[in-house]
Amino acid sequence: MAEIRLEGVSYTYGRGTPFEAHAVKDLTLTIEEGKITGIIGHTGSGKSTLVEMLNGLIKPDSGRVMLDGEDIWADKKKLRSVRFRVGLVMQYPEYQLFDETVRADIAFGPHNMGLSEEETDERVREAARFAGVGEELLDKSPFELSGGQKRRAAVAGVMAMRPDVLVLDEPAAGLDPKGRASILSGIREYSGATGASVVIVSHSMEDMAAYCDRIAVLADGGLAMYGTREEIFARRDELRAIGLGVPLITDIAYELSSLGVPLGDDIYTVRGVAESIAKLIKERER
Amino acid sequence: MSAFIETRGLKFAYEDADGVRHTALDGISLSFERGEFTAILGHNGSGKSTFAKLLNMILIPDEGEIYVDGKLVSSHEEPDEDTVFEVRRRVGMVHQNPDNQIVASVVEEDVAFGPENLGIPPEEIRARVDGALDAVGMRKYALSSPSHLSGGQKQRVAVAGIIAMLPECIIFDESTSMLDPSGRREVMDTILKLNRERGITIIHITHEMEEAALADRVVVFSEGRVCLDGKPGEIFSRAEELRAVSLDVPQSTALLYELRGLGVRQLPETPDAGACARHIRDELLRLGALPLHGGDANG
Repeated sequence: MAEIRLEGVSYTYGRGTPFEAHAVKDLTLTIEEGKITGIIGHTGSGKSTLVEMLNGLIKPDSGRVMLDGEDIWADKKKLRSVRFRVGLVMQYPEYQLFDETVRADIAFGPHNMGLSEEETDERVREAARFAGVGEELLDKSPFELSGGQKRRAAVAGVMAMRPDVLVLDEPAAGLDPKGRASILSGIREYSGATGASVVIVSHSMEDMAAYCDRIAVLADGGLAMYGTREEIFARRDELRAIGLGVPLITDIAYELSSLGVPLGDDIYTVRGVAESIAKLIKERER
Repeated sequence: MSAFIETRGLKFAYEDADGVRHTALDGISLSFERGEFTAILGHNGSGKSTFAKLLNMILIPDEGEIYVDGKLVSSHEEPDEDTVFEVRRRVGMVHQNPDNQIVASVVEEDVAFGPENLGIPPEEIRARVDGALDAVGMRKYALSSPSHLSGGQKQRVAVAGIIAMLPECIIFDESTSMLDPSGRREVMDTILKLNRERGITIIHITHEMEEAALADRVVVFSEGRVCLDGKPGEIFSRAEELRAVSLDVPQSTALLYELRGLGVRQLPETPDAGACARHIRDELLRLGALPLHGGDANG
């Protein structure tokens, strides 16, 4: 379990060249322990830079990255252990599968950590279960898997290191709706079972609403909003102004409220809104 | 009406490293009318992209035929080069990754690449490039470097490159899947405009149900076959069948579907947020589940 605190971090690409661009500017954000934090923002808002700062792939030009109260850049020898504690799943990670079997691929991280064969084996099976990689796939070549299966195998490879913080950049991009739901609920199970903090970068407001405890909205390299999904999606007009939006179901719920239809608290899932409306119909006799 | 593209019994199998064959397409017969906007949905591995590659003649079928404008262009026989060239000009394709399909370091040069290869005279290329950039709303970036564009802008440049070859049909193979919400909107607006204003036939492969709802027609692939084919409203009213093939319906349709057992009437179309809310309010009034108050209740 761990908390990461970004304290006033800034990062500029191509410093000193004509293409100099601020990717992240004086950003302060706490990734809360044990919570699933969603990060949203349009292309170029600084999401990927932020994600790469979390596990020390990018060093901020100024500001500090604190993992459980310790500056990860204070002692460079410790960076390696930071990368084991903060596991990063990059975009389209299936392109990074390389080993002969799925099992060997998932075992790569635990092996590197110096774990014994037995421990590694246990980690592989546990991670495969969370990520939804069936036992029967473990001895196949990664190249025989479907797109969705490859993605799950790649996620399992990072989960097998049992990171305290699991960071995923667009884990569900390009998957069909069932594949999306399966990978995202696996991530939630991982967090629930291990107490790990999770950071998910996504363009899907629907997924954010359904899976995240906290949402951070980035705009122009800074933190525009941070809060619970209720707090964030209540700011519909501001979200639209920065090119984002709210889930379609939440939009419908707002329209219903303005037409005088009273709803319950859950206006973020189809089931929640349907239950509120069903209640109105069932209680009409009273 | 005449079909612009027609496929008859297309079959295709991939061979893996051990020589085992895996069926990707198992007999696809579809026709696409001129000017029609079709969305193709399907789970990962359902054969959608293989189908697109066959239409663009990147792959040739094991069995079956493809006709473009009534002419047989592709069958299991190796096609001649002229036919491939002709089909690729008439049926353009935009791919998934915006970074993999730009070849030049200046936007207008990238757009000119296709017509240059066709041997079009320079003065006409100029006119075509300008027209194509106008059509996708990217004229003011004509002299920019593609590397400084957003994903949505890069995809629009890729579309312009195709338009400059004056195609009759454009296939979008998951071209919105790597974009953020505003990039998606840009590409969808461009698709609708090309379809409505220029009558270009569109085949849009996507996982986004909201995008498919904008099409004239939705075709659903599963396990290499066509399992559903109809208007978006018809297709999305079959929520259970869609879920059985790993897909879903837009949240507005899903909400109405959840309420169907309680006497709430379904809508023939896929409504936007406002229309969906108004319909539910009206149904609640009709069912006597909402106290009548104010003047906005016109049942």
